[in-house]
Amino acid sequence: MSGTYDVVIIGGGMSGMMAAIALADMGRKIAVVSKGDPVCCLSTGCIDLLATDGDPLKGVGSLPDNHPYHLVGEDAIRESLEMFRDIMSEGGMPYVGDARVNRRILTPLGRRKVTCLVPGTMEFADFHSDEYIHVISFKKMKDFYPDYITSRYKNAGYSIFDAGIATTAGIAEQFENRKFLEGFISWLKGLDIPEGRIAIPAVLGMRFAGDVCNEISAKLGRNVFEIPTLPPSVPGLRLFGGLKKALLKRGGDLYWGREIYSVEKLGNQIEAVTLAGAGRSARVQGNAFILATGSFVSGGLHTSMDAVEETVFDLPAYLPGGRESWFNDDFFAPGHAIEKSGICVDPFFRPVDPQFENLFVCGSILAFSEIMKYRCGHGMAIATGVAAAKACGRPA
Amino acid sequence: MDFDFQHCIRCTICVANCPVFKVNPEFPGPKQAGPDAERFRSDHEASIDKWIRLCSQCKRCEVACPYGVNPAQIILREQVRYGEGHFRPLASRVFANNYWLGTVNSIIAPLVNMLTPLKFIKRVLNVFGISTYIPFPQYRVHSMNRSWRWKGRRKNRKKVVVRDLLASLGLRVIIPKQVCCGLPALGNGDVETARKFARKNARILAGYIDRGYDVIYTCTSCGLVLTQDYPGILNAPDGKKISENTYNLHEYVLKLMEDHYIEPVFEPFHRKVAYHIPCHLRASGIGYPAARLLEKIPGLEIHILEDNCCGLSGSYGFKRSNEETSAKLGITSERAIKDVDPDILMSDCGACRMQLEHFSGIPGFDPSEILVKSLKNFKAGK
Repeated sequence: MSGTYDVVIIGGGMSGMMAAIALADMGRKIAVVSKGDPVCCLSTGCIDLLATDGDPLKGVGSLPDNHPYHLVGEDAIRESLEMFRDIMSEGGMPYVGDARVNRRILTPLGRRKVTCLVPGTMEFADFHSDEYIHVISFKKMKDFYPDYITSRYKNAGYSIFDAGIATTAGIAEQFENRKFLEGFISWLKGLDIPEGRIAIPAVLGMRFAGDVCNEISAKLGRNVFEIPTLPPSVPGLRLFGGLKKALLKRGGDLYWGREIYSVEKLGNQIEAVTLAGAGRSARVQGNAFILATGSFVSGGLHTSMDAVEETVFDLPAYLPGGRESWFNDDFFAPGHAIEKSGICVDPFFRPVDPQFENLFVCGSILAFSEIMKYRCGHGMAIATGVAAAKACGRPA
Repeated sequence: MDFDFQHCIRCTICVANCPVFKVNPEFPGPKQAGPDAERFRSDHEASIDKWIRLCSQCKRCEVACPYGVNPAQIILREQVRYGEGHFRPLASRVFANNYWLGTVNSIIAPLVNMLTPLKFIKRVLNVFGISTYIPFPQYRVHSMNRSWRWKGRRKNRKKVVVRDLLASLGLRVIIPKQVCCGLPALGNGDVETARKFARKNARILAGYIDRGYDVIYTCTSCGLVLTQDYPGILNAPDGKKISENTYNLHEYVLKLMEDHYIEPVFEPFHRKVAYHIPCHLRASGIGYPAARLLEKIPGLEIHILEDNCCGLSGSYGFKRSNEETSAKLGITSERAIKDVDPDILMSDCGACRMQLEHFSGIPGFDPSEILVKSLKNFKAGK
């Protein structure tokens, strides 16, 4: 199929989807092209803004000068997060939190993860360590061992429920079923859990997890929250599902599971991209393009022995130096220099060199984002996605 | 041997997208059944993974995989290998030859339609491994090839509608003599029969393409076989040519509109529609052309539902062994539909409609049926 769009977004992750939704809201006709489902499906579903002890929004100000957050600015970051919250609420998956406050939520290893906005189901996941926590697990569930959590907290216990199926997606499917939920709640009631909070791995259904969580809460008279799990991560799937739903509702087109194999350029303009796939190749034409293909894991960037390549438009990518300077000897040290690599952009999110007038870049492919170091993945994806959309959609 | 499976980084995105894995613990999921197990398979050794047959080939894993692994293709190859090396159950044999079954049944249609709802017959079918949890499709005497005139039943109407619709747009439409696309045979582990069908169709279609015709399909699964499997696993002559010249009906109409070859006027049609996207439309990678076309109809409110597989997957759900899986998935899809609270149900795939009509009780339509209702310059029954 061929088509002409106002804007073609390449990459269907957090950043690309947010840019697409923002542009659709401006009345643009848009298409999203993606090789497959994005990395956000594997994420915890939480929106990390910046891992700081204090106000994360203020913390943005003290990041190095070349960090992409500075291209957006504090106010616009806050606005874009608000926009994200509105989108998710509209899809029945409300997020809670404030851009000025970080929370420390419980992980399956019993440690805390610093994040900012969380799904409604994790509202109570930041608890005082003196408080009693009762962890629920499911029989034979993989990669979730309640002992990890209870060993770290003196005041904690756990129980195991037999859901008849052991996978996260499978249990989530069960929670869509009224009878199953009622059975689960009556089992919980029979446990006689001490006063405190109840923590359940994030499997409380796909579409109405918030309602399920609230119902368990109300029936037991306890605060109930979800613990994000290892992939397949249900909150990650919910997050992606919510964004996709919002985009489809706004009339956006999805070209899924197809790779770009050629790009048509004319002077300093990108004219069209051609998609490979079963059958005919498809030419997708756009007045403007947004590149949101992510960094190494997502395939937006590719490393050879001595270079970093951008995979769609062959844009020159920034490199922190020779290969010997890419990595830190300590694997777990925050920040390997290779993380700085990516695409350098001007204040309008256009690649600095070579200058295409109708190409905008956002998300983790941006140079100097250092997501692992600053723990700013989804936050930066949202902020730069919306900002790139604004730059792209502004009147010429 | 294909080494695509080496690209798998075990991210489990495919697993999260697998409908069968969600409801049937017997199936280890596309990651394990596909790239993981592929490492231990060899053409010199027999295929032993019995569970390989549990994959319904919805291809959602393929669409989801960001690393180009195509788990469904790996599984399909293994299903074929398993089929070649093992006794195939009667139900699989029957459904592999769906085309002949249909040909015979349409000759004695009234008799078949009368018999299949009977309890006794159902029990006999069950014994032979054929599921009867949803009503059997109704056969009819007048098949597409012999008569295109609408005989008064809604379900008979689709192909008539398509032919007349395209003709009314000023196109020369030919419905050539053809056989089954081969998918039922392929899906039931009988690749030889599938290749036989493919060769026959390929010869006919390629002949038309050489004379300047484009090929149009209305069934999204047949379309995917023509574009993906004819040049691929079925290795049909001129497979590539067919693949490149074959269009989804709505995609084609849109293309004609974008080229300003036609400029149809859409009349208002006031309905709230739940549009269930067939898995094989997703897998075609052409976006959702019917949605793009139908959104031009004033008054039509379309809700796209693309997260669920209906579970029937052609003949998959008609086998006793898959009945439970199929029904569970049908109920999940039905819930998503009920959330929308639609007036009507829409899907490009006849099998999806059959399953979803059964579970939801909401009347199902093909997008082209709605398109026809709205197109001003369309004159039916020429």
